[in-house]
Amino acid sequence: MYDTRNAERDVTQNEIKMSARKCQVFYGDKQAIIDVDIDVEDKMVTAFIGPSGCGKSTFLRVLNRMNDTIPIARVEGAITLDGEDIYDPRVDPVQLRARVGMVFQKPNPFPKSIYDNVAYGPRIHGLATGKAEMDAIVEKSLRRAALWDEVKDRLQEPGTGLSGGQQQRLCIARAVATEPEVLLMDEPCSALDPIATSQVEELIDELRESYSVVIVTHSMQQAARVSQKTAFFHLGYLVEYGETGQIFTNPRDERTESYISGRIG
Amino acid sequence: MTVENAHIHAAFDRDLETIQAEVMKMGGMVETAIAEATKALELRDEDRAEQVVANDLQIDALELQIDEEVARVIALRQPIATDLRTVLTVMKISANLERVGDYAKNISKRTSALVEMQPIEGAAGALRRQAKAVELMLRDALDAYIRRDVDLAHDVRIRDREVDQMYNSLFREFLTHMMEDPRNITACMHLHFIAKNIERMGDHVTAVAEQVIYLVTGDLPFDDRPKADDTAGIGGPKG
Repeated sequence: MYDTRNAERDVTQNEIKMSARKCQVFYGDKQAIIDVDIDVEDKMVTAFIGPSGCGKSTFLRVLNRMNDTIPIARVEGAITLDGEDIYDPRVDPVQLRARVGMVFQKPNPFPKSIYDNVAYGPRIHGLATGKAEMDAIVEKSLRRAALWDEVKDRLQEPGTGLSGGQQQRLCIARAVATEPEVLLMDEPCSALDPIATSQVEELIDELRESYSVVIVTHSMQQAARVSQKTAFFHLGYLVEYGETGQIFTNPRDERTESYISGRIG
Repeated sequence: MTVENAHIHAAFDRDLETIQAEVMKMGGMVETAIAEATKALELRDEDRAEQVVANDLQIDALELQIDEEVARVIALRQPIATDLRTVLTVMKISANLERVGDYAKNISKRTSALVEMQPIEGAAGALRRQAKAVELMLRDALDAYIRRDVDLAHDVRIRDREVDQMYNSLFREFLTHMMEDPRNITACMHLHFIAKNIERMGDHVTAVAEQVIYLVTGDLPFDDRPKADDTAGIGGPKG
């Protein structure tokens, strides 16, 4: 009776792209993440959900060492990308962030032209040897972000002059320009209207072809729509992690159920 | 797994309670229809049979109302997890109950024809007992729904076998009557359809019990439940 089920639900075949074992994060004395074990699969969208303050954004930032920028933050445990420890002292966090890109909640284009916003990453990482090559990278990235047709005639205009949804797609283009392997998104649609949200969600689905995408979202419906696997965080713990369809039809943990169905827990 | 906590949106709880109350009301009406239809048959009471036919309109109307309210809850509240399973099972249970109601109506229509004929000895009482078994199964299935009682639902599922066995013996009995005296054929044909209707009711009640299991556990039972309707082979080469 199971052979007629949707093939998209078959989510255990992909390779593990990133993994965490016994991850702990402290902000000074306060522990924000407790004993998190997780495997993030390649070419898959993984959603992190949970109430405010549950640690999901903190944990997302563990994956590309964004917490390094917070002096009181301390990360323990093994975090690996393709099996290599990303917290190894020999790892350059700037290089790591080229491989593990990030898109933030509020669109934050640089106060530069659309072109330069996208070219910035490839330029500092020396990914292009000439103008023609850089032009190609910019076009490819903007196409991937489904923005090319809207901006191709005004690449020299400031990125800040675009609409909110366009700015967010510009940030996605900027993030994919360095050919990352993992794309982290921290509530990428919370400042966007429903149309722009749909465009970004469609884009996320396309990005899955090439990358492993991890998205933090407050919208249950968004997690359900875009992700193949969902992780529920609560009070710093990873409570439940599983196939998205299962989480939303039959969660195993009562805390997950209460949260996703909007109950008083 | 089900969660008993209240929703933050209290109106969501009220919506879910309303549609569940309606499906239970529908279940009660169908229970009555089964009992009344077979009572009318046994008593050869045409008025009672006509009342069952008339009441079926209300059952059908309630099913439509439940469908509309479920569609509304899906559109406005986007139920997930237990809430989603609740609305899905409400829809399926109401559809099954509606079918059981139709069978009761069909029994009543045949009763109106049967009162014009010579009674077949023992038939009405046997059908009444078969229907009683289904009625009790339905009552337990609805109780299992209200109490979220998986064990009781499993019990209902198993008991459908008895209804199948009663149908088998009635099938043979009617066949015997028809062979003995061809003047019994018309009445026995009607009686056989009634027995088959009751057997089908049992299948729909079993489906209700299975929905209870799905509601509580998130999985449908997919083992082959015991079945005992073997009349498909009767009269064949090995007859």
